[in-house]
Amino acid sequence: MKKAVHQRTVSVAIKPTAADHSFNLFVDIFLLLLLIIIAIPLWSTITLSFRPYDYIGNNLQGMFLAPWKWSPAAYRALLGNAGFLLAFKNSFKILIGGVATALVLTIPLAYVLSIPTLPGRRVLGILVILPYVFNVGMIPSYLLVTNIGLIDKLPAVYLPGAISTYNCLIMRSFFEGIPNELKESARIDGATEIQVLGQIILPLSKAIIMTIGLFYGVSFWNDFFHAMLYLNSNSLQPLPILLRNILMASGMNEYVEVSAFGDAPIAAIKAASVFMSAIPMVIAYPFIQKYFTKGTLLGSVKG
Amino acid sequence: MERRAHSSVLVREIKRHRSVYLLLIIPLTYYIIFKYVPIFNGQIAFKEYMALDGVLGSKWIGLEHFRTFIHSYYFTELLRNTLMYSFGKLIFSLPIAILLAIAIYESNRAALRKVVQTLAYLPHFLSWVIMYGILLALLAPGDGIVNDMIKGLGGKGIDFLTNTRAFPWIVIFSDAWKEMGWSAIIFIAALMGIDPSLFEAALVEGANSWQRVRYITLPSIRPVIIIVVLLRLGTILDAGFNQIFMLYSTPVLSVGDIIDTWVYRQGLLEFQFGLATAVGLFKGVIGMALILTSNRLVKRFGGAVLF
Amino acid sequence: MKKQHVLCIALVALLTLVSLPVFSQGVKEPAAAGPVTIELWYGAAITEAGPPPSDWVGFKIIKEKLNIDLKLTALPSSENDQDVKVQAAAAANNLPDLFMVRRDVLGRLVGQGLVATVDDLYAKMPIRTATHYDSVSRGHARFNGKTYGLADPGSINKNEGLLIRKDWLDNLGLAVPKTTEDLMKVMRAFTFNDPDRNGKHDTYGYGAFQEINNYEAWPGRRLEPIFGAFGVDGTWSLSAADPGLMVLKPAFYDAMTYLKRMVDEGVMDPNWLAYKKDDFRAAWKQGRFGVMREQNAAYAAESNYAPFDKNFPDGEWIIVDAPVGPQGLASIGPYTASFRIYAISAKAEQAGKKDKIAELLEWMASDEGYYLLGWGVEGVNYTLDKDGIPVADGIANRDMAFTGSVGQTVTQLRNMVFYNGDIELYARYPKYITATSRKEMSALDVLREMQTKEWTAAIGSDTLPIPNADLKRFYEQGLSEFITGKRVLNKANWEKWLDEFKKLGGQSWNDSGIAFAKENNLLI
Repeated sequence: MKKAVHQRTVSVAIKPTAADHSFNLFVDIFLLLLLIIIAIPLWSTITLSFRPYDYIGNNLQGMFLAPWKWSPAAYRALLGNAGFLLAFKNSFKILIGGVATALVLTIPLAYVLSIPTLPGRRVLGILVILPYVFNVGMIPSYLLVTNIGLIDKLPAVYLPGAISTYNCLIMRSFFEGIPNELKESARIDGATEIQVLGQIILPLSKAIIMTIGLFYGVSFWNDFFHAMLYLNSNSLQPLPILLRNILMASGMNEYVEVSAFGDAPIAAIKAASVFMSAIPMVIAYPFIQKYFTKGTLLGSVKG
Repeated sequence: MERRAHSSVLVREIKRHRSVYLLLIIPLTYYIIFKYVPIFNGQIAFKEYMALDGVLGSKWIGLEHFRTFIHSYYFTELLRNTLMYSFGKLIFSLPIAILLAIAIYESNRAALRKVVQTLAYLPHFLSWVIMYGILLALLAPGDGIVNDMIKGLGGKGIDFLTNTRAFPWIVIFSDAWKEMGWSAIIFIAALMGIDPSLFEAALVEGANSWQRVRYITLPSIRPVIIIVVLLRLGTILDAGFNQIFMLYSTPVLSVGDIIDTWVYRQGLLEFQFGLATAVGLFKGVIGMALILTSNRLVKRFGGAVLF
Repeated sequence: MKKQHVLCIALVALLTLVSLPVFSQGVKEPAAAGPVTIELWYGAAITEAGPPPSDWVGFKIIKEKLNIDLKLTALPSSENDQDVKVQAAAAANNLPDLFMVRRDVLGRLVGQGLVATVDDLYAKMPIRTATHYDSVSRGHARFNGKTYGLADPGSINKNEGLLIRKDWLDNLGLAVPKTTEDLMKVMRAFTFNDPDRNGKHDTYGYGAFQEINNYEAWPGRRLEPIFGAFGVDGTWSLSAADPGLMVLKPAFYDAMTYLKRMVDEGVMDPNWLAYKKDDFRAAWKQGRFGVMREQNAAYAAESNYAPFDKNFPDGEWIIVDAPVGPQGLASIGPYTASFRIYAISAKAEQAGKKDKIAELLEWMASDEGYYLLGWGVEGVNYTLDKDGIPVADGIANRDMAFTGSVGQTVTQLRNMVFYNGDIELYARYPKYITATSRKEMSALDVLREMQTKEWTAAIGSDTLPIPNADLKRFYEQGLSEFITGKRVLNKANWEKWLDEFKKLGGQSWNDSGIAFAKENNLLI
């Protein structure tokens, strides 16, 4: 699919000018530079996570540590942690429950906000934006969660954030970008708004829905704060809590002779746990990229 | 007469959109419970909150909490630092993210594009603890690589991380470093929606690549850029607590302390929830004012608006 | 229209889902005859290991012996998070029955009327009180004349020491420094005379990092031996002759001048302001500096010493006396007794659970509870050696041993029973032979030696009033700016800054601190 898109310069046979060449050069150099800038922290974190316990170079020197000196101790310690499996399961439940709830709630709201002719649209817009701007903080929300009995239940982690105004308004802006003639023609054909949403908007918005779903997923997967606040039972603790406990252990570590890590250095554990936090992203992003193809709207508008 | 006609149009419009309001019931219920009940509880900003008395039973104390904040010895400085960081990030990081998205979109080298696109977002997941380790290795006055180079050239080591002049730059640059790929995702998604026939038309008219970006690519994602900027303006007084909290230390407090770190030290750790909420409301007023003004401005110039 | 029906159903479903728990709350009244449920929020002993498994034998024993259904919640590992969690629960009047809490937070909960007094409980726990709660402990959680928390012994005091690289001294033919001027010479030599003989200028005299909290002001404990030489170590002076904030004493200026000299002459590791704790610890293992203040186990425990041992098989740290200042004073720093407070919520008291909680805590202090919570089950998680010290050696399955990944989970509550008794210390800090240099090391020997050095008694200094956030910032930022050179350190500037500090609330902080110390008999 990508290939087809990149033939655009070919399909119209006009010779690239010097300006085009300089443009391409600029783009490639820019990307290459960014690639290097991005690769440094990534590679240094990877090497850090494989660091043997007696290596003492700093984060940048560690990047040149020969692979045969690497040690998997940090990963062994993380995956072998007594609570890891349970925490992973809890996180997975939060992820699935959270993303499903969030999308079910966000999509209709974003769509309704995107209808330009809707009476009361402006009022609605302000109603939606107010709680985003006025962040009343932890205790007012905590009181709510306690009062509706969500304390110590997994949904407490994702329900308070199940509609992110930011995500919702971004999604709306994408819905607004869908050519009006599509929606209008459907409406003229007698479709209800629900049908317009289901049959016109959603199929054309896979990329943005996936993207927003991903944003939600990442935020739920890594939500330490709400889990810390709202979950009490040891059996409900998700991954971020476990990771945080591991990360903070360095402070406590000094008092005990043997830590749970065996011979893994604390810095390596910290680095390795970073990759745990990126799991949903690393798994989901390639799939989403499939929908990131140029001109996704083209066929439907013309067809 | 005209009014009646108008209202009957309104009724007709509402009727026509019946099914739309149905779609709204669930999200609105959600909003009332999960967003507006907390705002209602936010009245503790004007109260001396006592846990045993609850939100409604606690004593009203008027603007006392707001006064505590505004009369803080460091109030103006906190406000200045906060604005410096959030505008700095907006002005610096956001354009870089947009440029990155456009470069990925425009590059003709599939391999490069793919590699960058798959890796660029990953630094977002590095915690600030990890980033600090990297910054230290780069910038430490004793043995940081950058300082080694400066010393190699005959200069004197610079204490970037604890120097009040360098610190703000470190905050802004490191934020861009960590977040540009992540922020770019939304713009990449937007770019994918551009109708390629626009480009063909441009080619026919003899536009070169620079002009194409200038007149087609950028304007096409303008609505998303505007929305992102507007939304960021709404939370302009959130300058990135996690980052600052990790990076700052006592010697750079004069340029590092922001509203959120102040609230953290003053409020949350001292059972002053009313104060924390009051500061949240203060930030909200500023954010709302900014959103309303800029929304109006955008509207005047015919852009996509929030409401 | 069908879709609308579906929507309606979905809506009703959502609303019930949300409101169900509201109704279910009312049904939760406990059955009268069943075991008493006690919710306990504990501080984990080994934060990185998981919580006790749900089939932990302790639950069974506690239920059968004490008729208590123990419900455990591990508090978050960082103190700040603990504060947030406990305070949020407090704000909703939703505190558990028994919970660990820091003193500052406890004070605020007391002000809100959310915690129960415990004065009547000591008599009900004779065994526990004998080992856990002395008069200092009782004073630690006392507010307005009543004790609101059970303060269990925390980490051992005087567990840090001033360490010097003996091999560097030998290489340079230098003696162990006795005075601050000796120390300055040694630090200069460590910085400029290539003490590790690697031909590079990559070493420094003193290593430190900023370590501050509510009771330890900038620059923190790593530099207390310097301030101690001038008699101004710690935030407060508790001497009856001259009580008050140290920063207001004239000698504080002299200490600052000395510290400034260290920085200006380049004998202080220039990274010290940028280091966090882990960076500092990595730095001494890299041989970057030759003088530091470090904690006994952080220095000498096997896993902590190993990297240094590997990099510098000939390297050797020795524990030295604090340097003597111009007035003949010396101190490693102030020491106070540290505690972990467990408080009982007012809710639990109203529910009549207080005696049951005392019963539970007393059982924990019995031999059965002590070994079970401290090390697990004999034969399963530990064996006793010939001296009666629990050891992991005899356990075939290493994971099950109290040091192993599974065994650790059943000792998570051990801080509720430990009181720094000899058995604990021997079990915690065994002797070992270092891997590369084949030296015999023991963090316990190190600890004992550190405790023989000169320290300043400051028991109770961590109960004195704390400044508000603005004043604290003014105070610490000012000190740091004098050292970094952002403010010029001279008598006139110092006096001017002190005046402003006093005006901003420093004077009343000082006065209220002295008044509090007098009232509570903390002055020595």
